[in-house]
Parts: sequence; structure tokens; C-alpha cells
Amino acid sequence: MSNTPLDLLKLNLDERVYVKLRGARSITGTLQAFDSHCNIVLSDCTETKYSLVDGILQSEERESEMLFVRGDSVTLITTPEDE
Amino acid sequence: MSSVAQQEPTSASTQFLSDIIGKPVNVKLHSGMLYVGTLESIDGFMNIALSSATEHYENKNNGLINTYNSDVFLRGTQVMYISEV
Repeated sequence: MSNTPLDLLKLNLDERVYVKLRGARSITGTLQAFDSHCNIVLSDCTETKYSLVDGILQSEERESEMLFVRGDSVTLITTPEDE
Repeated sequence: MSSVAQQEPTSASTQFLSDIIGKPVNVKLHSGMLYVGTLESIDGFMNIALSSATEHYENKNNGLINTYNSDVFLRGTQVMYISEV
């Protein structure tokens, strides 16, 4: 039972991850590194931003080769369900 | 003196957190998102790992937003509360 949540995150290193951020944003990418603040380095990533335009949900995507995500905007990390 | 003052409250709360490992839990984040799943592990920062988690907004009766088949990591600073289902 010494496995902390951050230990379990190590199992996702070099794997594809889905990272949910504050402000209706998410990033899918390959997990290169992370630390205890949840600062994260991702490669081959897709950032998705969701917004409501006249009550209709819209999403906007952009691709990046390498991203450093500051930990304070991270809310959730898991494996992507579809790719 | 500080060790006694600090140990008293932490032991009860850490006892609760270690007692609910492996049990079904509700985790509410500051954003209002509610995660229901089996508590795999938790640390002193309230970082949480859930298995077979479902995602809802505010209330489980508000409908299912997402189902996660693999472990979900929730960042401790975003956690508002955790309770046993």
C-alpha cells in the first residue's frame, strides 16, 4: 500500500495520456516527464479547447511537438479512451 | 509540544483516508466535477488515484459525462472533498 498516486502515474511514462486542465481545456500527448507539482512534459500533443458559442458546444484543436504544462492548471490525468 | 498538537488531528484524518482505500468513493473538485470510483491510493497532498471512475457534474443524478476504463489521477490541490459512497 506504499504506492502513492504519483507512483501510479509513473506507469504512464512514455505512454499516451489525456490531461484535463482548468478552463475547459484538455491535452492528449505522450508523457515524457512529470514532478510532484504535476508539471508535465508531453510530446506529439493535441490541445483541445471547448467553448459555448450561442449555447452550442464547440471545440478548437491545435497540435504541438513538445509542451511543458505548468502543474497548477492540471486537474486530471488518465489514459485516452480512443485514439 | 508542537508534535502533540499536530499529531492529534492528523492521525484521525489520515486514519480515515487509509481506511477508505479500496472502497468506492465520491471525489468533488473545485470545478464542481464529481468523480465516483474505487480509491486505489491517496497521499498527504490529497492526490488521488481512482479505478473504474465515472464523471458527473455536481451530482450523480445529473447524468454521466464520462466513464474511465483505466486509472484516473486527480491532482490534490483541485480536490474539495472525498467521501465513501
